[in-house]
Amino acid sequence: MKLELGYVQIKDIVFGNESKISNGVLTVDKAPIEALAKEDDRIKSVTIDIAKPGESVRITPVKDVIEPRCKVEGDCDIFPGTIGSVKMAGFGKTHVCKGMAVVTAGKIVGFQEGIIDMKGPGADYTPFSKLLNLVCVFEPVDGLKQHDYEEAVRFAGFKIAKYIGELSKDVKPDSTETFEVCDFKENMEKFKGLPRVGYVHMLQSQGLLHDTYVYGVDAKKILPTLMYPTEVFDGAIVSGNCVSACDKNPTYVHMNNPVVVDLFKHHGKEINFCAHIITNENVYLADKQRSSNFTAKLCEMLALDAVIITEEGFGNPDADLIMNCTKIEKKGIKTVLVTDEYAGRDGGSQSLADADPLGNACVTGGNANEVVVLPKLDKVIGTLDYVNKIAGGNENSMRPDGTIEIEIQAITGATSEVGFNKLTATY
Amino acid sequence: MVKEIERAGIPVVHMCTITPISLTVGANRIVPTIAIPHPLGNPALDKADEKKLRRQLVEKALNALTTEVTGQTVFDK
Repeated sequence: MKLELGYVQIKDIVFGNESKISNGVLTVDKAPIEALAKEDDRIKSVTIDIAKPGESVRITPVKDVIEPRCKVEGDCDIFPGTIGSVKMAGFGKTHVCKGMAVVTAGKIVGFQEGIIDMKGPGADYTPFSKLLNLVCVFEPVDGLKQHDYEEAVRFAGFKIAKYIGELSKDVKPDSTETFEVCDFKENMEKFKGLPRVGYVHMLQSQGLLHDTYVYGVDAKKILPTLMYPTEVFDGAIVSGNCVSACDKNPTYVHMNNPVVVDLFKHHGKEINFCAHIITNENVYLADKQRSSNFTAKLCEMLALDAVIITEEGFGNPDADLIMNCTKIEKKGIKTVLVTDEYAGRDGGSQSLADADPLGNACVTGGNANEVVVLPKLDKVIGTLDYVNKIAGGNENSMRPDGTIEIEIQAITGATSEVGFNKLTATY
Repeated sequence: MVKEIERAGIPVVHMCTITPISLTVGANRIVPTIAIPHPLGNPALDKADEKKLRRQLVEKALNALTTEVTGQTVFDK
């Protein structure tokens, strides 16, 4: 069984009277996008703009970043169970609009959205400054509750990304890549002798707008389970969270999960990538205990030799990370943890809320408390009204000269805990 | 804070949800609570049941405070 990704390289985005992709140029007609957004009567209006790499543009408050994709062959629709019907993803052919993203923005929570700068030092900290961004800023109807606003913007973003993705359906991809998966029996026979490596993928599920959805199911309601690693490429896992911008996994990152992509690169050569296990980060202790018991049990049942564990978010999920690590290590299975740090502005404080000597192999996405000064940029898409309130900012972040002094915590994707950015540290 | 108050000679019971972190940071008397967003209550219960739950938690904490311990102890019974 395999999934072929066909990459349609997008070289430019322009507005026009008819949405289409031609010679790598995406033309966007705003009207159908506005109509898609307004299908939901909770959305009052949407402002659509384009931000290109190198432009003096700041986008904030950013909610999600989504890659437009389209199923060309296969059973499911893109984003199965979320906006597509509940069918299994990860097989057939999928077209990808490469080099661009749909960015959704709006003041949902205010302090838990992010900043994307397209130019300057801020741009260096976010992977999304390198993309052509179709930015949609959503205004809610009066009196709408935050959780309804979040849901409305979440779904609108997926619908718009699907709409753009479908423009690539009849376009010949510039390149293709094939990912092959097999069942356990075949896997055991075919890759005999190679170390059995799994991926334990922790999903943000703290609730109160800190949620992730798997085929439409709120991840806090799942028990750890197994995925074909190709399923994420069709949008089987989507972000629904408003948390610190630097280390949440926007939907774009789920669809391009670099741990999955890189494990595939080594699969069948040095390792046998034979398990993608998803688990959650709930706020009840019993849930943390149950879920970490189940991830460790699954790793043992699958006779894994080693696993990579990635976290999403920080604080109490650090306890889930350490529980996963220690329980899996005690089964005799090696673990490598991928996380980030909240080590204070001077980097001198304890980086994680919990720790254990068994967690002796750790990759960091950087220190989220690191302070940067962002220059004044010419154009703002969205509003700067919440910069002082955003996680990582303070009442003095917006300076009188228009520059912003802020922790990189506020920058979308800056300290990605699946390694989707360039930042790390060694010691 | 737990450790500093104990250092001054006053016994402390740490009521918290994520007891593994409390163990890591070195609390001696730990009483597990309900959930991170609502440690000392449960919005899913009606008022009478929630009051009962709250009283039980406080009594358990007071009981822990007056129990001799020889090492880090989680009062999870």
